Amino acid sequence: MDFELSPEHRMIRDTVQDFCEEEIKPIAQEVESEHRFPKEVFDQLGKLDMMGVPVSEEYGGLGGDQLMYALVTEELGRVSGGIGLSYAAHVSLGSKPIESFGTEEQKERWLTPLAQGDGMGAWALTEPGSGSDASDMDTTAVKDGDEWVLNGTKQFITNANVADSVLVKAVTDPNAGYDGISTFIIDPQNDDGFAVTTVWDKMGLNCSPTCEIALDDVRVPADRLLGEAGEGWTQTMKTLEGGRISIAALSTGLAQGAYEAAHQYAQEREQFGKPISKFDAIRDKLVDMYRKTERARLLTHNAAWRYDNGKPVTKASALAKLDASEASREVAEDAVQVLGGYGYTEDFAPQRFYRDAKLMEIGEGTSEIQHLIIGRQLGL
Amino acid sequence: MMKVLVTVKEVAEVEEDFVLDGTRIDDRFLEYDLNEWDDYAIETAVQLAEAGDDVEVVSATIGPERCEETIRMALAKGVDRGIRVWDDTLASVDLLDVNAKTEIFNAIIAEEEPDLILTGVQAHDDSFGATGVSVADAAGYEWAAVVNALDLDADAGVAHVRRELEGGVEELTDVELPAVLTIQTGINEPRYASLRGIRMAQRKEIAQQTLDDLGLDEGAVESQITLTDMYEPESESDVELFEGDADAAAASLASVLREKGVGAQ
Repeated sequence: MDFELSPEHRMIRDTVQDFCEEEIKPIAQEVESEHRFPKEVFDQLGKLDMMGVPVSEEYGGLGGDQLMYALVTEELGRVSGGIGLSYAAHVSLGSKPIESFGTEEQKERWLTPLAQGDGMGAWALTEPGSGSDASDMDTTAVKDGDEWVLNGTKQFITNANVADSVLVKAVTDPNAGYDGISTFIIDPQNDDGFAVTTVWDKMGLNCSPTCEIALDDVRVPADRLLGEAGEGWTQTMKTLEGGRISIAALSTGLAQGAYEAAHQYAQEREQFGKPISKFDAIRDKLVDMYRKTERARLLTHNAAWRYDNGKPVTKASALAKLDASEASREVAEDAVQVLGGYGYTEDFAPQRFYRDAKLMEIGEGTSEIQHLIIGRQLGL
Repeated sequence: MMKVLVTVKEVAEVEEDFVLDGTRIDDRFLEYDLNEWDDYAIETAVQLAEAGDDVEVVSATIGPERCEETIRMALAKGVDRGIRVWDDTLASVDLLDVNAKTEIFNAIIAEEEPDLILTGVQAHDDSFGATGVSVADAAGYEWAAVVNALDLDADAGVAHVRRELEGGVEELTDVELPAVLTIQTGINEPRYASLRGIRMAQRKEIAQQTLDDLGLDEGAVESQITLTDMYEPESESDVELFEGDADAAAASLASVLREKGVGAQ
C-alpha cells in the first residue's frame, strides 16, 4: 500500500498550486463579487493543458488519470470554488461523456476543442420539475426525418451561457422509462431555438454561471445523438460516478482553503495577550478542521484510485462525495467562526468558502441521494 | 547548432513560521525549491531555444537525489536534458565553495562544449554570487555578470547585453561567444511548466555523474574556506514619537536629525 503521490502527480499538483496562488487567489473574491465568469483564467488553464486532464491525448487531452484530475480540481477549489465548479463541470460532465460514448467523428468535432481549452463544456440534466428524480424529465426529442427536434426547459445548468457544447438529456421514447432517455450534443452558439433564459444569482459560486435554458424546436442532425437512442440514463449514471469524485476533490479543496485561512489567522490574532491558537477552544477546532479535511482527501483519493484501477467505484465515489461535501461546509463554517467578525466580511476568504461549500451537498446528487446510493450498495 | 548550458541549484527555503534551535533551523521548517535566479536563467535559455532553429538546452546541477524533482521542473519548462553531479565525496562536504563548483562545472563544460552558459547571479542560500564569473575565468570564456536584458546574435557569435550595476546605473555591452552570462531576476517572466511538459519531462534524461566520471578527485572539493562561527546578530530598534502640532513636531524632528548628524558639515 502506497499513500505517496508519484513524482509526476506531485509536480503537477505543485505547479497547479503555484498557478492558483499567483493568478487566481488574488482575483477570487473580485470575480465572485462581480458575478463574472473569468474567461481569461480558463484561457490560461487551457495553455497549461489543464482543461482536458483525464481526456486521452488522441483528442487533445493530457491523458492523465482520475487521481491527477482530482489533484488539479482540489487545487482550484482551494482558491476559488466557482472556478473549480465550472472546471469540474467542463471536464466531468461536458467532456468525459463525449470521450466515453461518442463516435470518432463526434470526439474530433466536439471533444478535441474542449480538451485543448478552446471551448467550455456543459451538460443539461436537471429540469424545473425534476431534480433528484432526474429520469422524470419533460424535455423531449422527436425524430423528424433525419433530424431530431428538442423541446423543453433545463434548470441549474453550469456554464450554459459560456459553453461551446451542451450535452442535453431528453426523452426519446416516453413509454420506455429509464430506457427512453437519450443524450444530444447541442451547439448553443449556432443551433436555433436554444436560449439561456436565466443566469441565477446564488448564495455562492457566482463566478460560475448557473443557467436556465429553453429548447424551443431545436433541430439537430442525427449525428448529434451521443451513443444510441435510449442509452442516456446509463450514460448519466456512469458519468456521475466520475463526476462525484471531482465534486469530492473540489470540496476537499474548499475545506483545505478554509482550514488554511483559519490556521494562519489563529496564529496572528492575539486576544488576552496571546495568539488565539493557544486557546484550547480554537486549537481543538483547528485540529477537527484538519481531521475532516484529511479524511475527505483520503476518501477522494481512494475513489480516484479505484476508478483508475478499474474497480467498482459506485460506493466509493458516493461516500467520498458525501463526506467531502459535508466536511467542506463544516470546516468553512468553523473557519468563519475562528475569524469571528472578520470571518463574516468579504475581506477574508472563509465566508466565500462557506457559501461555496453549501452547494457541494446539493449538486451532482444531494447528500440524501448519496445516502440512498450507499445504502443500496450496503444491501439495505 | 547551438548549445546552451544552464547551471541550476536547488536551495532550501525557510517556511514563514520557523523556530531557531541555537543557530540551526530544523529540517521540518525547510522547503526545497529551484533557486529564484536560476528560474530566470532557464526561461532565458528556453526562449533562445524557441526562437532558434537548432538549440539544445542542457541543465547541470550539483546535488543529492532529492533535487531531481527540481531539475525535472526545468525539463518540464523546455530544457532538453539534465546532468546531476553527486557522489559520497560530495555528500561528505559541509561547505562546497566557489572553487569546488568551478572545478565541477568546468569539467562539464570541457565535455559539453556549450556556446553559451547561463547561471543565476547568485544562489539565495549561500549567496556567494561568484560561481558564474569564476567558471568563465576557468573555462576561458568571455563573461557578463548581472545581465537584465539579452539580445543574442548567434550567427555573428555576439551577445548584446545590458548589465545592472550599482546605484541604478546600467551598462550596454557586447560579449563574444562562447560566454557565460549571469542572469538577473526580472530579465523575463518565467513560465509555469505546462502539465504536458511535466508529463514529458518524466521521460527526459537526467544523467548522474560522479567526480570520478568527470575526471576529478577529492582534491577538487577541498575548501580553503571553513565555517568558524554562527551567531544571531543583535538587532536594535528605536522609535521616537513626536507629539504636538506640526511646528512642535517639526522642531523635535529637526533636533533629532541634528543629533544624528544629518546635515552636518
